Amino acid sequence: MNGRARWATFAPHLRPPPVALAILFSALAGGALVLVSGYNPLLAFAEIVKGSLSFDSLPDTLNWATPLVGMTLVAAVSLRGGMVNLGGDGQLVIGGLIAALLPLVMPGPGGLVSVSALSTAALGAGLYATLAAWGETRHGIPMLISSLLLSYPAVGVTSYLARFPFRDVTTGLPQTAMIPAAARLYVLSGALNVGSLLIAAIAVTVIFVDRRTVAGYELRMRGNNLRFAGYGGVNLERQAIGTMFISGAIAGLVGAIVVLGSQFRFIDGALLTPAYTWSGLMAALLASGEPAGAILAGLFFAALQTGGFAMQRETSVPRVLTLVLQAIVILFLAIRQGVGTRGR
Amino acid sequence: MPEIEAVGIVKRYGGLVANDRVALSVDRGEIHGVMGENGAGKTTLMTILFGLQAPDAGEIRLRGAPVCFRSPLDAMAAGMGMVHQSFKLFASLNVWENIVYGAEPTRGPFIDSRAARAEVAELAERHRLAVDPDAAVGQLSVGVRQRVEILKALYRDARILILDEPTAVLTPPERDALFSVLRRLAAEGRTVLLVTHKLHEAIAVTDRVTILRDGRTVASLRTAETSPREIIGAMTGRNVNLNVEKGPGHLGEPRLTAVDLTVAGAAARPAVDRVSLSVRAGEIVGIAGVAGNGQNELVEALVGLRRPDGGRVEICGVDVSAADVAAHRAAGLAYIPEDRAAVGSALQASAADNLAMGFQRAAPLARGGLVNPGAIAARARGLIRRHAIRIPSERMTVGRLSGGNLQKVVVARELSHESPVLIAEQPTRGLDVGATEYIHERLVAERDNGRAVLLVSAELSEILALSDRVLVMFEGRILDDLAQAQAEEESVGLLMAGRTREAT
Amino acid sequence: MTSLFTPFLFQSAVQAITPILLASLAGCLCGRVGVFNLALEGQMLVGAFSGVVGSYFTHSALGGVAAAMAGAVAFSLVLAYGATAFRGDPVVVGIGMNLLASGLTAYLLRVVFGVSGTFSDPGVVGLGRIAIPALQGVPVLGWGFGRQSALAWAAWALTAVVSVVMFKTSAGLRLRGIGDDPDAAGTLGVDVARYRVIAVLVAGALTGLAGAQLSLGAVSVFAEDMSAGRGWIAVVAVMLGRNNPLYAAAACVLFGFADALSINLQSQGLPNQLTDVSPYLATLAALVIGHRRRTRTSRRNVSAATPGDTATTRPRAL
Repeated sequence: MNGRARWATFAPHLRPPPVALAILFSALAGGALVLVSGYNPLLAFAEIVKGSLSFDSLPDTLNWATPLVGMTLVAAVSLRGGMVNLGGDGQLVIGGLIAALLPLVMPGPGGLVSVSALSTAALGAGLYATLAAWGETRHGIPMLISSLLLSYPAVGVTSYLARFPFRDVTTGLPQTAMIPAAARLYVLSGALNVGSLLIAAIAVTVIFVDRRTVAGYELRMRGNNLRFAGYGGVNLERQAIGTMFISGAIAGLVGAIVVLGSQFRFIDGALLTPAYTWSGLMAALLASGEPAGAILAGLFFAALQTGGFAMQRETSVPRVLTLVLQAIVILFLAIRQGVGTRGR
Repeated sequence: MPEIEAVGIVKRYGGLVANDRVALSVDRGEIHGVMGENGAGKTTLMTILFGLQAPDAGEIRLRGAPVCFRSPLDAMAAGMGMVHQSFKLFASLNVWENIVYGAEPTRGPFIDSRAARAEVAELAERHRLAVDPDAAVGQLSVGVRQRVEILKALYRDARILILDEPTAVLTPPERDALFSVLRRLAAEGRTVLLVTHKLHEAIAVTDRVTILRDGRTVASLRTAETSPREIIGAMTGRNVNLNVEKGPGHLGEPRLTAVDLTVAGAAARPAVDRVSLSVRAGEIVGIAGVAGNGQNELVEALVGLRRPDGGRVEICGVDVSAADVAAHRAAGLAYIPEDRAAVGSALQASAADNLAMGFQRAAPLARGGLVNPGAIAARARGLIRRHAIRIPSERMTVGRLSGGNLQKVVVARELSHESPVLIAEQPTRGLDVGATEYIHERLVAERDNGRAVLLVSAELSEILALSDRVLVMFEGRILDDLAQAQAEEESVGLLMAGRTREAT
Repeated sequence: MTSLFTPFLFQSAVQAITPILLASLAGCLCGRVGVFNLALEGQMLVGAFSGVVGSYFTHSALGGVAAAMAGAVAFSLVLAYGATAFRGDPVVVGIGMNLLASGLTAYLLRVVFGVSGTFSDPGVVGLGRIAIPALQGVPVLGWGFGRQSALAWAAWALTAVVSVVMFKTSAGLRLRGIGDDPDAAGTLGVDVARYRVIAVLVAGALTGLAGAQLSLGAVSVFAEDMSAGRGWIAVVAVMLGRNNPLYAAAACVLFGFADALSINLQSQGLPNQLTDVSPYLATLAALVIGHRRRTRTSRRNVSAATPGDTATTRPRAL
């Protein structure tokens, strides 16, 4: 490499990294909003940082990060191949409902029941996600649209099932009966359970598969140029279905982890309210599907949102501010840096 | 006084000087050829003349007066018209909409479609460029589309018409028709600039030629007073051997066979209509034909990117008719696609990743589902060295490579498969003479090594120079199968236009 | 069966169609000019919130509608410049805008009105319904339009206007050309960037009207995330209609009826969780059928901005 070429590859690193710029811009814009609303932005941001990263709050952050990073992986796995999975919500609740119902009918030791619930949840959600892949390969419906459209029936049907046939009539709420204590996920400390370890393991596996396996290589090439992958001999239909299955399975697993680890029953709407799916999708888009970057972005968003709760507690600034900050980061990076669905 | 002049035009793109004090002088009523290899700076100069770009230095003069075009609108207002190499047409609109676009006749707030249709019909009649004003442009053949492009310029009464490589997509008879249109326009007092790299065409129709090389004007000659050797010498700066060195082949068994291959098309007629062909080891079979006569669909069926609707494909004796690309490749096929950027490579991936495609499932690049990054990188480095690909490192992305280097990546990869059968589709499109010579050499080397090579190209000269046998494709059928000795431009050209020997 | 097709069904159908129709008009405009708009959901939400704010502070429905349009247009600047001049990926920009809208309206709801969840206040002046007694007796159309807000009428009028402009005027022709091939349009002297920005902003105004219909049309309430997926249905209508306002309108009618029918079925005893999914299932069915018909006749595809048209194993022919 001659001197000029060397400089050309080095120079971009001298400019401030785009992510830092994005966060700075978001803080400034958000801070202005907070100021205009009559609060102290510096105090608010300080609370966000304290409320997420301090020693006491770290377990909360990790707890929130578990489903969020999980849903990030859901989006990243498919995005790496150029496919946008917008059906995370639907896949999430299918997994959650299966995990909430199976322990009620399955006999056996608690550990076996937990593992069965997790696997069945993943399987069911994964299969549902492949419907979207079928939609694209056989019926020409873009994955983006078909996955989104399929999400609503899934949410609707699980909602119905939780409110009527499987409702726990002893409580007045739209939820299923509580799972037996033995089926609950093993608690590590406080609110943290093995679910977090499971998601961490999946994260590592995804990164490994992406970098060191044939399947990962083929998926990356597909995300880069679909026609190139097909031309090179990759079976595109099988790849789409397999990838969507894994993507959906992880979502189902996340739903199961939340149910078996925190809520112990399927509560209508509870899996969707925290908007893990959309935050996860945003984190994946920021990294264009690259797993390690996506996971980092997911952790950042988790910290932001956890901090938001603390901020609302301490300063009364509405915690939805963190969602605004998150969106501004995304938009900044999309507009200024062109991050997006094109693979890398 | 010259009708249009370019004086001292300079244009830089970063470190590359595309136009280096280029000079051009064209008289009124002249058909003037602008010639040079790919990359010589012809298209850059034309975009400057047409106002698509501003020069870094120098000026353009119209009838002696300097002009400054800030956009194509300015150029068009000054009487310039341009027919681009890739047509700037709207496929979803019809002919009259395309022609009047941007200068629509109106009645109140609405477009006066009746006036528009009438004007277009009158123009077509006057210049003898037959078009149907209401036809959807997307459905038209390339020759007709070009007529629409010319009518666009004439609708705006272009006095100076620039045509950029107009004959690349025409059959020989269509090209002759175009030339007579150009002669008529010149006789009317309009000026024609013809950008081309095709020697014989420039000689056939131009009055003068200006030759560019490496961004500079190297010659301005009167066509009648010069010779092909002089022009080529100026274009390339050296004495180029116009023929390809090719010894007699050693024919072996048929390696690629198609029997009654049929592929349905969008229209009632099939795109590929019961085509049978066979390519033996040690020969190059060329398929000549104007683009759009089913070559794409034929190659897709042979490669496995499309399932044929009838007939059989065999590769090295294995019936792969209903199989996918992976099976075709496994049976012994390598394929250099027509579109190196959109199909043949992943522009945002590294050279190493690009060079590994097709090998990623087996040793030494992978074992048991796990890839070996070190082996991938080593292999890439080897191929880069062997084919002299100009790229600093195998880790760099291929998106910024020149056309020639990117094609080298594709060729290097496909050849390294050492498959018995090689299909090459338009392998030298858009490449300069150096890269083209390299590709030709490699194809002949493969053939000498006993490979079966199927070459599909719209460049007749390439087919005639390289092929041991020439098949001519027209409207989905193979009209004839000629040995190299029998194939020459006139007879093949007629076949490409659908005129079989009997019908002449 | 006859008890299903009551006058009330048609009235609620027309009401349900209105915001989706306006949003799909907006989507068609953006699509025609080459900007894939996934932010309809967020734009409608911003419009709905701005409408309530405007109405509350000006004590007039008109002020609300004007504010709705202004707010949505301002919000649409992000898409107008982000996806064109700045070349941002429209998918990310669109979804990012949706999230921004959701968070921002929720935040402002708390900060401006001091409530969370929903805001309804006598100070918010809704659009009254225009009752036309003479019309109310007419079957189907009369039942549908006999008692609707002014925006319901405006939606259909605007559909006609946009269609005429798009297919019969110079501006419309140039717009369609930009969506087909912006490069070619540029060489013919059309200011592609300006057309795109203007088209997206006009589309923004239309989504503002859609939002106003949501929050001021039938009731005078703002609820968090009240666009409730209608923006996504509009996206699908635009896709089904291939960026043609008239075909998209037909798709909207289909959805509006599915929506109204589901409400009707609720009163017959079916739980709303199940009936709410009927528009989405209807859409999926329509997409499958549409694809079948397309591959059978292989008509030419004229839509401008639909990045999802991927053929996984068949490369597009030249």
